[in-house]
Amino acid sequence: MEIFEGFLKAITGIFKESGIATLNWQNYVMIAISIVLLYLAIKKQYEPLLLLPIAFGMLLVNLYPAIMNPPSVQLLTADQCAAQHVEIAGHAKRVIDGVTYYENPTYGGLLYYLYQGVKLGIYPPLIFLGIGCMTDFGPLIANPKSLILGAAAQIGIFVTFTGAIFLGFSEPEAGAIGIIGGADGPTAIYVTTKLAPHLLGSIAIAAYSYMALVPIIQPPIMKALTTKKERMVVMEQLRPVSKLEKIMFPIIVVILIAILLPDAAPLVGMLMLGNLFKESGVVDRIAKAAQNELMNIITIFLGTTVGATASGQNFLSLSTIKIIVLGLIAFSMGTAFGVLFGKLMYKFTGGKVNPLIGSAGVSAVPMAARVSQKVGQQENPGNFLLMHAMGPNVAGVIGSAVAAGVLLNVVGH
Amino acid sequence: MYLSYLANAGGIAAELSLYEKWISSAKVILTGFAVVFAVLFLLIGIIKIYSTIVQAVQNKNNVRKNVRNQKKEKIAQPDDSLKKPSIIPARKSDANEPVVSDGIDEEIVAVIAAAVAATYGSKGKARIKSIKKSGGRSAWANAGILDNTRPF
Repeated sequence: MEIFEGFLKAITGIFKESGIATLNWQNYVMIAISIVLLYLAIKKQYEPLLLLPIAFGMLLVNLYPAIMNPPSVQLLTADQCAAQHVEIAGHAKRVIDGVTYYENPTYGGLLYYLYQGVKLGIYPPLIFLGIGCMTDFGPLIANPKSLILGAAAQIGIFVTFTGAIFLGFSEPEAGAIGIIGGADGPTAIYVTTKLAPHLLGSIAIAAYSYMALVPIIQPPIMKALTTKKERMVVMEQLRPVSKLEKIMFPIIVVILIAILLPDAAPLVGMLMLGNLFKESGVVDRIAKAAQNELMNIITIFLGTTVGATASGQNFLSLSTIKIIVLGLIAFSMGTAFGVLFGKLMYKFTGGKVNPLIGSAGVSAVPMAARVSQKVGQQENPGNFLLMHAMGPNVAGVIGSAVAAGVLLNVVGH
Repeated sequence: MYLSYLANAGGIAAELSLYEKWISSAKVILTGFAVVFAVLFLLIGIIKIYSTIVQAVQNKNNVRKNVRNQKKEKIAQPDDSLKKPSIIPARKSDANEPVVSDGIDEEIVAVIAAAVAATYGSKGKARIKSIKKSGGRSAWANAGILDNTRPF
């Protein structure tokens, strides 16, 4: 009988702590959403490197919310300490209503600790370090005017800010939502952790989803805003860029931007450090580590913990739907302004610039540049716009980091 | 500060008045436009300036190298060119001619030139300035790298 009672008690205890008893309907909805995202990442291969860990982080936190719990202090009486086999010695005492309690520190969940890299703004700049190692700024140096397109595509960020303000978001929240238009995941995460950390899950998922959907979102906008004649323009071959120019570029950019806009320094600084690793050619081992091992490790931590911020209670709200809609507007506006400025450049250069390269100014490297190439080739199969589009594309990375600096400065302080 | 926010994360923002919303939007749009374009325009200017300087310096160095090579050629074969002008015409030095390092066959130079011409087309402005072997490390450099990476 005693054995049966013990068995029953154990089973009841396990049931009480199980997800069946503790999870609510929001968690189950989020579990379903995370499975859909896993499907999109694995089967459709939508940004799988990030979507897969994000979706799995989302799944984990909704199955076991305590995995994101911060460390806390439990107050236990002497009897409770004895029952839980907690050593009293060395624990601070607190007397409440005449009862003595002992402070028993509890540890946080696994993902809580990994999340500190996101919360403290450490992971996004480290991702930028790896991106810098993989980026060739040659097309941008060969044609510096493409920076105009990189700047134009950031207009979507600021216009969406207005939309968010009028939809009832606060200034910092609107700033974090607007940055989705920069189409740069690490920048979006960095700005959101500084301005509106409670919206991180929704913003990160919106940003990465839209980046994965670049080939679907951008072409209709590009085609609607350009004529067939403009899309057929074959651009002149870019001049070769010397090694010295490539080495000087990251040094000059970081000096200029860090002096003018210190808030953008962590992102731009790491991007340029990575690029200097690559271009200098003297630290091959470090460059390889930054763009492979380090970046892969950070991607795992970043993706999983960002996904883990999307618990049912946080994610399933009207705000998330608004963010998803505003994100799409931001992205589309960025693309549209890039193409429109491309058209301006087409006019001013007497038809030498193909406006399609403007859409690549939204970052999303290198997908956006590939889309420019693809749309251009649909009109003229012998046209190769990829290298020309890489200029605005990498300019967009710098542009969105500068825009992030502006937002942090204007609405973050 | 005329705007107020809720201090607690996750809360709903304090509702701004219509006037405050307009002011806030205008402030951010104007600052964003101005700063992003100003910084990137400044960057365009700086890239253009330093690119021009670097290209000018490198062109000068290339011309100097070419001149030095021509002098070396003249010193090495001063009499031959004078003795047999009808059989082997004295090579007319050309500043556009690529500087080719020793040990590379003329055939390889011709293949590289053909590949460049095929890529850029006959109307392109591509010009081969120099061809040299790359990637080779000295024995000492190889020994140093081996020594440093052995523990890994």
